[in-house]
Amino acid sequence: MSQKGLIFDSKEFSVFDGPGIRQTVFFKGCPLRCNWCHNPEGLQNKPELMVSAASCIHCGKCSLACTHDKCIACGDCVEVCPLRLRKIAGTYMTAKELAESIHENSEYYARYGGGVTFSGGEPLMQAEFLIEVLDLLPDVHKAIETSGFAGSATFRKVISRLDYVLMDIKIFDDELHQKYTGVSNRQILENAGILCEGNTPFVIRIPLIPGVNDNELNFRQTAKLIAGAKALQKIELLPYHKTAGAKYSSVGRMYEPIFDIDRTINISRKVFDEYNVRSSVL
Amino acid sequence: MTNKVEEMLAFFIRDKKHHSFRQPAADKYELARHFMEGQVPDVDRAALRLMHVLDREQAVLFEGERIALVRTVTTIPELFTEEEMAVLKETHWIHELGDISNICVDYTKLLNVGFDDKRAELNGYKTNYLLAGDTKAVHYLELQVGILDSVEALTNRYRLLALEKGNEIVAKTLSHVPAKAPQNLLEALQMFRIIHFTLWCSRNYHNTIGRLDQFIYPYLKKDMDLGIYDYDSALELIEEFFITFNRDSDLYPGMQQGDNGQSLMLGGRNEDGSDSYNLLSELCLKASLEVKLIDPKINLRVHKDTPMETYLLGTELTKQGLGFPQYCNDDVVIPGLLNLGYEKKDVYNYTVAACWEFIIPGEAMDVVNIGALSFAKAVEDVVIDELEECHSYEDFEDRVTRSIQRQTDHMAEQVKNLYIFPSPFLSLMMGDCAKQAKDVSLGCKYNNYGFHGSGIATAADSMAAVKKYVFEEKSVDKSVLINALKNDFEGEDRLFGLLRYDAPKMGNNIDYVDQIASRLLRDFALSLKGKVNDRSGIFRAGTGSAMYFLWHARDIPATPDGRKKGEGLAANYSPSLFSRCKGPVSIIKSFTKPDLKLTINGGPLTLELQDTVFRSKESMYKVAMLVKSFVDLGGHELQLNSVNRETLLDAQKHPEYYHNLIVRVWGWSGYFVELDKEYQDHIIQRMELAV
Repeated sequence: MSQKGLIFDSKEFSVFDGPGIRQTVFFKGCPLRCNWCHNPEGLQNKPELMVSAASCIHCGKCSLACTHDKCIACGDCVEVCPLRLRKIAGTYMTAKELAESIHENSEYYARYGGGVTFSGGEPLMQAEFLIEVLDLLPDVHKAIETSGFAGSATFRKVISRLDYVLMDIKIFDDELHQKYTGVSNRQILENAGILCEGNTPFVIRIPLIPGVNDNELNFRQTAKLIAGAKALQKIELLPYHKTAGAKYSSVGRMYEPIFDIDRTINISRKVFDEYNVRSSVL
Repeated sequence: MTNKVEEMLAFFIRDKKHHSFRQPAADKYELARHFMEGQVPDVDRAALRLMHVLDREQAVLFEGERIALVRTVTTIPELFTEEEMAVLKETHWIHELGDISNICVDYTKLLNVGFDDKRAELNGYKTNYLLAGDTKAVHYLELQVGILDSVEALTNRYRLLALEKGNEIVAKTLSHVPAKAPQNLLEALQMFRIIHFTLWCSRNYHNTIGRLDQFIYPYLKKDMDLGIYDYDSALELIEEFFITFNRDSDLYPGMQQGDNGQSLMLGGRNEDGSDSYNLLSELCLKASLEVKLIDPKINLRVHKDTPMETYLLGTELTKQGLGFPQYCNDDVVIPGLLNLGYEKKDVYNYTVAACWEFIIPGEAMDVVNIGALSFAKAVEDVVIDELEECHSYEDFEDRVTRSIQRQTDHMAEQVKNLYIFPSPFLSLMMGDCAKQAKDVSLGCKYNNYGFHGSGIATAADSMAAVKKYVFEEKSVDKSVLINALKNDFEGEDRLFGLLRYDAPKMGNNIDYVDQIASRLLRDFALSLKGKVNDRSGIFRAGTGSAMYFLWHARDIPATPDGRKKGEGLAANYSPSLFSRCKGPVSIIKSFTKPDLKLTINGGPLTLELQDTVFRSKESMYKVAMLVKSFVDLGGHELQLNSVNRETLLDAQKHPEYYHNLIVRVWGWSGYFVELDKEYQDHIIQRMELAV
């Protein structure tokens, strides 16, 4: 039990990641490659250099400091940047270290009805580490934001330690799911079934991607799957925003959406009303 | 909002149609020259100037108006010629323009009385002084009566115009007030308008409004009980009233447009522990929310028992992006003011002066912004001149304490022999001034001076860097640091990066640096302890900066926190401009650690929140809880901003100052300055569409 986890960010005062005022911890590494992903620095499961080129003054100090042909995320160029536009995304931490940093403010969050939310990347990709962390936080309200992509046994183990779950069902049709996220949704739907049977309060989220999944059939299939689940809190619809690609250049990648980003999004809650499922648009 | 209020907003605020009635600018020294030639005493000058302005005021009424009075005179003449001022300044400390400003009068002394009874009261005192042979007092009282006559002559012109124009409401109101005490809400608001208008005509400025929800409430209650108003019609009247604060405000003196000190205080704990928040407090919040005007500036007194609904209403107001309400925490301010020696019944009645300095209405002739300590300079001086000699961090720290003492000693010495221009009209609403036939410019019950303290975060961060790298890790040599500061970090990229980005910064809930800030604030407060000003008042330490954060930044070279020469200090009580803080929770925790009761002159922590956290009802509730947490943790004063387009545009131009600026993009948040330009532009565009 001594493996380290890879964390790329943490955020205070999260107001959309579960009940109350929360802190959110972002795990680095994700098995999915959603075509609309807005957190490209969360994808790779190793530290990487991020550069915010927008404010760069081209002083050249970073190039002078670099001694490698190919970036190894050593951080030598970070310290010399006068505007500190560079950073290494991804820090290895032990479960104890992470739990301690969460505990720093956990009382505060508890006082205002909240706790901690684990997000990513995909926190389930570091499930063993996550479980270790969760076990160190018995007194904290714990939530997860997940794609639900994990083996059922792992999923059950994690869920049993949580107080609240926010899980995506991005696309119901498996073929389309594979096309747009790179993986099958079989396990995801199975895990959704586990949530539906259980007692842990959960929210299902659908990112609304124009022309991809913002259609009535997708809404209906999703609603049908989860309707009537006793612990279901609501469905949250997250309309796609064109700024999704904002951080790609900072990790040296291209944002290449294969859907029509300009198409009007069909935001409809009608179907969910039909199934008596509460819904809201974030 | 009703159609009527919308029409008034269009007329006065959007189209400024009332400006066409303004008189051309006049020679502002003409009257002063006349005074100088006639060797007119200052008290007479003040009274004559006011009467001069009032006599020149022309009555103007607008369609459908219920609360009259609008300025047409654009030039308020000077009391003294330039030569006279130069002579005065040789021997006196003249504060800003010289006129009484930035205090809060007790409006009820006139508002609840009416001019007829006030004149009778003044004439009564006059009889006594006549018998006693005090001609000076007699003359002063005569001047005050003369002013009341001039005000009434003006309101009478308005009344006649109202009759002529068929505005029966104004005609009727002005047939009662100001001569008689108001009998209803409309008359009370009209009476307030008359008094406030007259204060501005007497060139008193930063004329705060104070606890309007307390002194106007009885009139509202009476009218509501009588069924004259319901909730909506009372709200409409308050909205019309709020518009009056914005009609002439461009003529008011101030550092910049909007800096006019029309601060309104709502709610607050009573001595018996109950809360004074009432229906009028709520109507004021609602009115501000609907009319969305920068005046009056809304302040809310809160405490640990303040209900969430009040915070929620406040949060709705913050969402408008006007930068208020400002929250004042009774649980800290009240004991703080008691410690300074203010009497209990006065303390529970506290309000804010123009910006955020705590002040007692009607009793305090405090000059709350008479000077400012530069925390950054206090530290910087020791680093540059003495660091080489320091044998330990404790030694360094003690020298900073002495450096603060040297500055405050000098500041206290500088403000000797204060001369404030008299104001016989304003004096009618201060303490016992009327009875004593004494001008309040000479003093009142409280005559304390307040010092701001600028650059606390820069100072604390600088000391933390010195402690860590020079004394503990010994990784930075004293002389290397001093030279780097003198050379503005030229050729010291790594040291610069280390100090600027890696050193501990206030605002991250790190005890290491927060304790230093606590110590600096305590040093500041202790350095003033026992000092008496030459009006027998004390000196109060504060956490505000006013414009000093700009001026003080110019005085110092680069600082050990990695701030380069010429870079600014943060305004008021806030993290330094370039320190990236972990988030609002850490900022609140850091800034509530010091014992803020000690530095209770005032000065808020300012938090910038992305506009999207105000998006849903649920998230608004969480913002309200964040505010409550500041109060629970013992913060004294808080101001929140919903980040808007202007901020973002400035952030594009000066990304180095906006590292903490977070924007929610799409189901996630990012640091604005880290986004590619096109996405920054996109978000700015989105803000343009936001209502």
